Amino acid sequence: MQRREALKNVAFLLGSAVSATTLSIVLDGCKPGTGKKTGDLFTEDQNKLVDEIADTIIPTTSTPGAKAAGVGSFVTMMVKECYPENVQNDFLKGLDDVDSRSKKAFSKTFTALSAEQRNQVLKALADDTIQQKKDDKGKETKDKSKKAADKSKYEAKVYFFQLIRELTLLGYFTSEIGAKQALAYVAIPGRYDGCTDLKPGQKAWAM
Amino acid sequence: MNINNKAQEQHTYDAIVIGSGISGGWAAKELTEKGLKVLMLERGENIEHIKDYDTAMKAPWEFKHRGRLTQEQIKTHPVQIRDYPYSEFNEKWWVNDLECPYTEVKRFDWYRGFHVGSKSLMWGRQSYRIGDIDFEANAKDGHGIDWPIRYKDIAPWYDYVEKFAGISGQAEGWAQLPDGHFLPPMEMNCVEKSVKKRIEDHYKRTRIMTIGRVANLTVPHNGRGNCQYRNLCSRGCPFGAYFSTQSATLPAAMATGNLTVRPFSIVNSIIYDKDTKKAKGVLVIDAQTKENMEFYSKIIFVNGSTLGTAFVLLNSTSDTFPDGLGNSSGQLGHNLMDHHFRCGASGDVEGFDDKYYYGRRANGIYVPRYRNLGNDKRDYVRGFGYQGGASRSGWQRNIAELAFGADFKEEVTKPGPWKMGLGGFGETLPYYENRVYIDHSKKDKWGQPVLAIDCEFKENEAKMRIDMMNDAAEMLEIAGVKNVKTYDNGSYPGMAIHEMGIARMGNDPKTSVLNKWNQMHDVKNVFVTDGSCMTSTACQNPSLTYMALTARACDYAVKELKKMNI
Repeated sequence: MQRREALKNVAFLLGSAVSATTLSIVLDGCKPGTGKKTGDLFTEDQNKLVDEIADTIIPTTSTPGAKAAGVGSFVTMMVKECYPENVQNDFLKGLDDVDSRSKKAFSKTFTALSAEQRNQVLKALADDTIQQKKDDKGKETKDKSKKAADKSKYEAKVYFFQLIRELTLLGYFTSEIGAKQALAYVAIPGRYDGCTDLKPGQKAWAM
Repeated sequence: MNINNKAQEQHTYDAIVIGSGISGGWAAKELTEKGLKVLMLERGENIEHIKDYDTAMKAPWEFKHRGRLTQEQIKTHPVQIRDYPYSEFNEKWWVNDLECPYTEVKRFDWYRGFHVGSKSLMWGRQSYRIGDIDFEANAKDGHGIDWPIRYKDIAPWYDYVEKFAGISGQAEGWAQLPDGHFLPPMEMNCVEKSVKKRIEDHYKRTRIMTIGRVANLTVPHNGRGNCQYRNLCSRGCPFGAYFSTQSATLPAAMATGNLTVRPFSIVNSIIYDKDTKKAKGVLVIDAQTKENMEFYSKIIFVNGSTLGTAFVLLNSTSDTFPDGLGNSSGQLGHNLMDHHFRCGASGDVEGFDDKYYYGRRANGIYVPRYRNLGNDKRDYVRGFGYQGGASRSGWQRNIAELAFGADFKEEVTKPGPWKMGLGGFGETLPYYENRVYIDHSKKDKWGQPVLAIDCEFKENEAKMRIDMMNDAAEMLEIAGVKNVKTYDNGSYPGMAIHEMGIARMGNDPKTSVLNKWNQMHDVKNVFVTDGSCMTSTACQNPSLTYMALTARACDYAVKELKKMNI
């Protein structure tokens, strides 16, 4: 069983000395390391690029998308404050890679592409990332004796698309727009009803 | 509040309580209500009820990192980051590991919070009685020593603390999980109700599933508000709806006018007087000024959380007790225990897609122990219980790997598939060699030596885990759960944050540190009523038992004091 799946199961455990409240948000914590970039990690163009990638991952539909929720600046802030220098560098390379892929396929930078072209670029990137993860996992099986508890969530390998996707989802669904419009947010429910009938079009509860 | 922050002249009280968590708060309440002038010492800062719960009313988007940790926090909290409890949501309530190091002879995850209320603010609130199956276990299978008490000795005190604390739950009439004085139970959701029925039908009620018994109020109680179902307990509750020092015991103690709370007071050691053969006071280091000072009292309650208590007692050396206060048995610091957990099973539930729930219930379900009871005999001793629950998955679910875009977004905003999981909490045997001792090769921020912890789970726990995993899968499958997957994420001592046993109770002063009243065999005016006193762990969450033992010990101590016996 993969670490990610296994960790989610821990959410069912309520008995240790602390409550498991918002566990799932915390699951993919920031990774430790040495050094931290100071000043502006991202150029203005890169900030725009992150905005557009985030908005392709979570576009406007019947509800506002990532751009409206300010997710781009959240993603860049998180990379800057919560990740070590090597991950930051990988992230910057990942952004360059998105533009390279865009130029190769459509002779334009990502931000100049149409929505459909952006989808195609990210779909290919997602597929390549899945393949890369599969290949890496094949290598990893030799090291299976290592106990699950020894594998810190802070040590997991970071894949650019997986990271920007996770941070986009986190930033969006915990934003005010994401929680209140895409999901249903009740700050103080006041009571618990264990069995309600699902109403047509009912949104999932935000945390 | 009568808080004394200034360094001051030597002061004398009737009683000193070391620590302000679950058991320390109870000691302060009971002793002050019985008329004693009490000084409660807490090594960390003061946290005022409601006012200082900085994050309690924040919406998700008001957390800059949405719960996650920065590189700076990761660097200063290398132990606290090992598991989920330490997050941006209540970051200030966890210790800076660099300021208070300890030595891990073997890996031991030590989760600590230094502040008034201590872990009573962050605890999981599951509250279960332990019964005679547990009190008799050591005597029956020969591990550890016999408990000096039985269920009948503690039952009235469980009643007493439950009535005050407010525990919601469902009476089940099960011998191995005695019923208590419950507030109305929280409701199970549709899936949990179905799973409960199918498990209980299949096993003909030789196994049961009940709603978690939890120190959250389901109705207003003793002037405190009822649970609002936000499930944000670990940030502190502005409604006072779960039991904590701040919401419950501290206001009661303050109301007597007999309590002085002194934050930033690190108890370095207890001072022993060989002429009276009693403790005469404590040596305190002011956490802010590093100034040393002494406080004196007739009796001392040690409630520093098991490992904090271990440090204070082992560090209290004298000509009479060169190896730690009250350690003529040589057992002090030994028999360290914690529950082992992080294994079980989970799966998908079909047929309830038209059902949902309202509110965020800060509680799950509980399956009490059924193994090694009656005719059931396993290849290990003792047993385990399960906690768990069902819920519909949210936006984190995997629709397809790395999916994105408009269709993906629309899909994950709908309630996802139902999931049901069971996770075991297993009893750990008392092993003499699982121990702590003082390591003089390191110093903490205040110049004190540190604790070394040498503790591991052994074969009995390893064998039990196989059942914990497979039984969970079997019960879920019987309940109709699909795609059941087992897991064992590995469990190191400390992770369950149920440390127990370093000053165990027993009848024989040669093999135990405390008598049946939590009183030191060797030093009659010192009482230890936190997890240190536990002679075995049982498999239930232990805090309610600490509460009951504390109230019982306070009653005894004050009577003895009045009789001039101590």
